[in-house]
Amino acid sequence: MQRRSTVAVTGTLLLALGLTACGGGDGSGEATGDAASADHTGETLTVWIMEGTNPDGDAFFDEVTAAFKEETGADLQIELQPWASAHDKFTTSIAGNTTPDVAELGTTWTGEFADVGALTDLTDRIKEAGLEEDLVPGLVESATLDGAQYGMPWYAGVRSIVYRKDLFEAAGIEVPTTWAELQTAAETLKAANPGLVPFPVAGDSQYGAMPFVWGAGGDLASKDGDVWTSEISSPESVKGLEFYTGLATEAGLSTAAATTWKETDLLSNFEQGNVGMMISGSWTPGKIVADVPDMADKIGAFPIPGETEGLSDSFLGGSHLGVFAASEKQDLAWEFVEMMTTGTFAQEWGNQSGYFPGQTSLLEKVIEEDDPLVAPFAQQMVEAGASVPVTPLYGQIQGKKTLETMLQSILSGSATVQEAADTAAADMNETFGS
Amino acid sequence: MADLHQVPGASADQLTRRAPAPDPSAGPRRGTGRGGMHGVLGHRSPVRPWLLLAPALAVLAVLLLWPLVRVVMISLQDYGLRQIASGESNYIGFDNYAAILGDSFLWTVVLPNTIGFAVACVVLTVVLGTAVALFLNNLGTFWRTVCSTAIMVAWAVPAITGTYVWIWIFDPLNGLVSSVLDSVGLIDPATTNWFTERLSFYAIATLNVVHHGFPFVAITVLAGLLTIPKELHEAAMMDGATPWRRFWTITAPILRPVFAVVTILSTIWDFKVFTQIYLMPGGNGGNKEVFNLGVWSYIQSFAQGKYGMGSAIAVLLTLILLGITVVYMRTLFKEEEL
Repeated sequence: MQRRSTVAVTGTLLLALGLTACGGGDGSGEATGDAASADHTGETLTVWIMEGTNPDGDAFFDEVTAAFKEETGADLQIELQPWASAHDKFTTSIAGNTTPDVAELGTTWTGEFADVGALTDLTDRIKEAGLEEDLVPGLVESATLDGAQYGMPWYAGVRSIVYRKDLFEAAGIEVPTTWAELQTAAETLKAANPGLVPFPVAGDSQYGAMPFVWGAGGDLASKDGDVWTSEISSPESVKGLEFYTGLATEAGLSTAAATTWKETDLLSNFEQGNVGMMISGSWTPGKIVADVPDMADKIGAFPIPGETEGLSDSFLGGSHLGVFAASEKQDLAWEFVEMMTTGTFAQEWGNQSGYFPGQTSLLEKVIEEDDPLVAPFAQQMVEAGASVPVTPLYGQIQGKKTLETMLQSILSGSATVQEAADTAAADMNETFGS
Repeated sequence: MADLHQVPGASADQLTRRAPAPDPSAGPRRGTGRGGMHGVLGHRSPVRPWLLLAPALAVLAVLLLWPLVRVVMISLQDYGLRQIASGESNYIGFDNYAAILGDSFLWTVVLPNTIGFAVACVVLTVVLGTAVALFLNNLGTFWRTVCSTAIMVAWAVPAITGTYVWIWIFDPLNGLVSSVLDSVGLIDPATTNWFTERLSFYAIATLNVVHHGFPFVAITVLAGLLTIPKELHEAAMMDGATPWRRFWTITAPILRPVFAVVTILSTIWDFKVFTQIYLMPGGNGGNKEVFNLGVWSYIQSFAQGKYGMGSAIAVLLTLILLGITVVYMRTLFKEEEL
């Protein structure tokens, strides 16, 4: 009895600390120590996980549930949510006060939900667990709002270039290391395979364009004080966009249909053998091999080259695990978060899903394994991963598809690169209020 | 009971006729003797009909009226995730409406798209549906069943599935239409993408919506056609009227209420089309040229979290539909009075 009440009290204390977003972590150090050994038998932790990331999610979570029960005595209730409707469901649950205890959050959502006070500040917990130095920086950045970290990096994915190794070899093409080489490779590929779309420029994929904006020295937006300003129409950004869209509009290396392609369309056309190379995520080679086993030894990957040297940055996306502020089981929730995001389970999840762990030490292990379909992405992630502007406002900009609109108007020929970029910049600044 | 089954119409008639008969004598007695009990629920009391309507009205109020009121309330606020999370309100008057109505995007893109598309769809749906109904009406029972079943399948297909089928048919690179046109040398698939042009985008969407919507019109009009007495047509034929003449002087006037219903319903459906546009390539917000009111409202609300603005667009759409319906009903009933 004595023990139970202590836990309850420290739990409440922690909750209070979390809610006030307190910076100091003196008192809570002991508290977590207590909590870790506490017995939570009879309690149930509700967790929302996004559906489809891990093809064999059920088996994975059976294991996790058993291990969690052994460790804490508490039961887990894992509820799978489809990505497409998850954001609406979170919104509704925040409004109705029916949030789960813990949930997987897309990296661009964490700041948004934290901003309205729905998430618990995890900064102190992470410090106490000694994890702060061991987390992938890009994922920490996207989980941080006003200096406090609201999401625990779980897994990450990054886009590089997936290509047809067999066609490259047949045409005697080397893996490109600059933009000029990239274009030459595509042109050679086209000459050798007339029916092929060597490098589709997908108009409905914002992440495909970003490496070229960043690679040319441009940016999406910059922050001055508290105000964000769009940089998409800066000379550097426009130069990058001119190269990227020029592959379609000038060099004819794409196809008109790609103007309205999403990343899923890129993938399905690649799987049908229509495509020579594409900007594609670290999770796609596994899917290609699973869908079309014949392609297993025909595909390869390389990081997105820099304009003249090095690599171009690519968007680092992924998921956090967040604890909801309304949860009454803050200690238990953190134990679950820690178990999922570090050690064996984090590693296993990454291996099964084709994503990378959010813990740097685990990521380094993956790099050491040197799998030809994994290593290029790992290199991209470690050396050239980048984040979109970390502000809930950027979520709105993504919501209205400013970059996709810009790409589609360039690719369909209804605007020049500069015109389209100016429109996009004005559109972004309207949302930024700058 | 046996009587009732044999001649239900007659017995029902008798029952109703019998009911008022004792009234003159029974009325006063009731009034004096048991007035207290019957006063509240008496047939002259205005309360009874409302009591009987109450359950239905309560359900309607909860399911229809309250959400409608909420949408109007939200449309008068700057309402975002913060307001949803805290439950606070944030009224800003008619700012959302001012912003929408003052946006040239509404007048040059969204409204023309919505109205043009709806007009084209309604006209085509009703014309095609009526033509199919006339065709079905002339078939024997067996073939009529076969054909209407086939038509019903188009109706039964969910909008999402149907839309994807049309997208595949018109896929610029591998689709049926582009392969056929390519093989006869009319287009080059490498440089053709009809989803990026406003007109061709909406032409495909129109095909989709008309294909999905005409079975309802066909079946409803067919039901109306079956009620037209054959003698009318026979008499007209004796007088030497052409089929065209017979349609306009016999069928059309008799079916006017049916046409009114299918036109109004089609108008409402085609104005608020969302799925069929949103799912098309470029229709999910990437190409602002093809926005209609439904997509615009959705993007504002759910993609950008500006629920107030999205609600205001939805209210605007409702008002337009209400206006169209009222005007249409008025013209219809005025003509009938004449």
